[in-house]
Amino acid sequence: MMWRWVLIAVAAVGPSGCAVFGYTLVRPGAAVDVAGSGLIVSPDRAWNRAGSINGPGKDAERWTLDGPALNELTLYAGIRDGRPLFREEDRRDRPLPRFSATMLPVDVAALFEASYRVASGTSLFTIDAIAPDSLAGRPGFRFDYSYVLPGEEVRRKGAATGAIVGGKLYLISFEAPAIHYFDRDVGAYRAIVAAARLKDDARDVGDIPGPLT
Amino acid sequence: MKRIAHAAAAVAMLCQPPAVASGQVPVGYQPVDSDERGLWMVMAEEERRVRDSNFVIQDPALNAYVRQVLCRTVGPRCAEVRIYLMRTPYFNASMAPNGMMQVWSGLFLRTRNEAQLAAVLAHEYTHYEEQHSLRIFRDVRDKSTVLSFLSLPLSILGGMAATTAAQFVTLATIFGFSRENERAADRGSVTLLTRAGYDPAAAAAIWEGIEAEREAAAAARGRSVRPEIALFGTHPTSRARMEELRAQAAAAPAGARESGEGPYQAALAGSWAMLVDDQIKLNDYGATELLLTRLAADGWTGSLIYARAELMRARGTADDLRHAEAWYQAAIVRPDAPAEARRGLGLTLLRRGEVAAGRAAIASYLEHRPNASDGAMLRAMTGA
Repeated sequence: MMWRWVLIAVAAVGPSGCAVFGYTLVRPGAAVDVAGSGLIVSPDRAWNRAGSINGPGKDAERWTLDGPALNELTLYAGIRDGRPLFREEDRRDRPLPRFSATMLPVDVAALFEASYRVASGTSLFTIDAIAPDSLAGRPGFRFDYSYVLPGEEVRRKGAATGAIVGGKLYLISFEAPAIHYFDRDVGAYRAIVAAARLKDDARDVGDIPGPLT
Repeated sequence: MKRIAHAAAAVAMLCQPPAVASGQVPVGYQPVDSDERGLWMVMAEEERRVRDSNFVIQDPALNAYVRQVLCRTVGPRCAEVRIYLMRTPYFNASMAPNGMMQVWSGLFLRTRNEAQLAAVLAHEYTHYEEQHSLRIFRDVRDKSTVLSFLSLPLSILGGMAATTAAQFVTLATIFGFSRENERAADRGSVTLLTRAGYDPAAAAAIWEGIEAEREAAAAARGRSVRPEIALFGTHPTSRARMEELRAQAAAAPAGARESGEGPYQAALAGSWAMLVDDQIKLNDYGATELLLTRLAADGWTGSLIYARAELMRARGTADDLRHAEAWYQAAIVRPDAPAEARRGLGLTLLRRGEVAAGRAAIASYLEHRPNASDGAMLRAMTGA
């Protein structure tokens, strides 16, 4: 039964099927429009971008260097008022909390924490610090967190940088095992955050009249 | 289908305990046949994993209290049981055939006195003493062989495995067998409670609470309560258990009827903040509000007023924020409310557009907690 659906799905998406089911390579320096939102990021090293089936939802993307268990980057691009951060597994009995455009930075961190707690069933999740920062040149915030998933027991660390722009949430988070991987790879995340921009800004630049040729 | 049966076997092993036809295991019992030795070996491995888990609550006083309640309820054989308190915010406890008992932290918010805690511990202990897991293991093993056989021709026909009537009935009998063990454990718990001088009505009261919580959760989400499915549930429905437990409690011999509310409250005093915080972060407004109201049965303490305001602020509708402000205002004048009430008040005021008052409340919070982990952000937000 399962295979029949897989075949239908593959036939439906054609050669782009791998973009839906598997991972595609993001080359260093490439400019990626995250989930078609206008958030543009350019990694400083090669990443693997999960297809939409493995992704967190339609307003976000998930990237990894060596596999999501070892290092995972999630790019939330334009989460609108009233929407959850990522795809809900059980909307009826375990609905995720919703983003609100009026949230303060500490509210976004609390939303992030509650979303992880509800989705994974863990109680071992803490926001360790939160401070002002910027994303894509907009005033925002960054926070550090740590957590353990039930049944797995690996202690993980995470860092996230975000901003609310035009009532929509843009947030880039990175997480990895606290032992070795977080410290090894957090630089790749910081590079992506540092180079992130919004397409509207690019258009503004493009609107400036250049020399006629 | 086979996977379902195996999953059922695994769940059965975790959620219950083992058995020989004669009934109870003798003192100092060790497994006798290959089935049971195998089960104990698997559970010993599982226990090593649980023992080393990050989720185990180490608090020595709380651990000692739960053990003391178990020992009072079941007698000296409590020494055969290892209790692991797991930081998981849902209502559950489980018993493995080798004597490993797990109690989830969410249970402590839902049992309201020592007798109710004792009822859960006695229920789980009865699974152990009557060896329900071993019985279920054998039952599932025998029936899953039947299930494999029944699904074989269908697999050959192209993997379109449909559930035949025979498979359906076989599966249902596995779950039915499990439910019968649950009833036996419920009966055992009432007997043990009565013998220990606890109020035997405590067992039914737990299920009344669980029913009320399900209704409150659904109501707050604007949904109807999903009916529990008896045919494929490993446990009887809450309502069925409640009714049977009530009848058993009514028939219990007369004697002491202690509820032990005071000792229970005292033993949990140091854990309430953590338990309530874990519950609030579940995004379950209705159930959490009910649990807080129940905790406040003897009056709203500063901590509980603060918790209720936090719940409202977390959901964050315009009405919630308006109510939250009033609850925070009520909290901050109480000496038993945490300083975090000032933080919550300030954040609520800021979201409601009352900037000056919001900044003042946050500044007051930072005076109480100068090293707060969110201090840098709050100072930036308030211009401090």
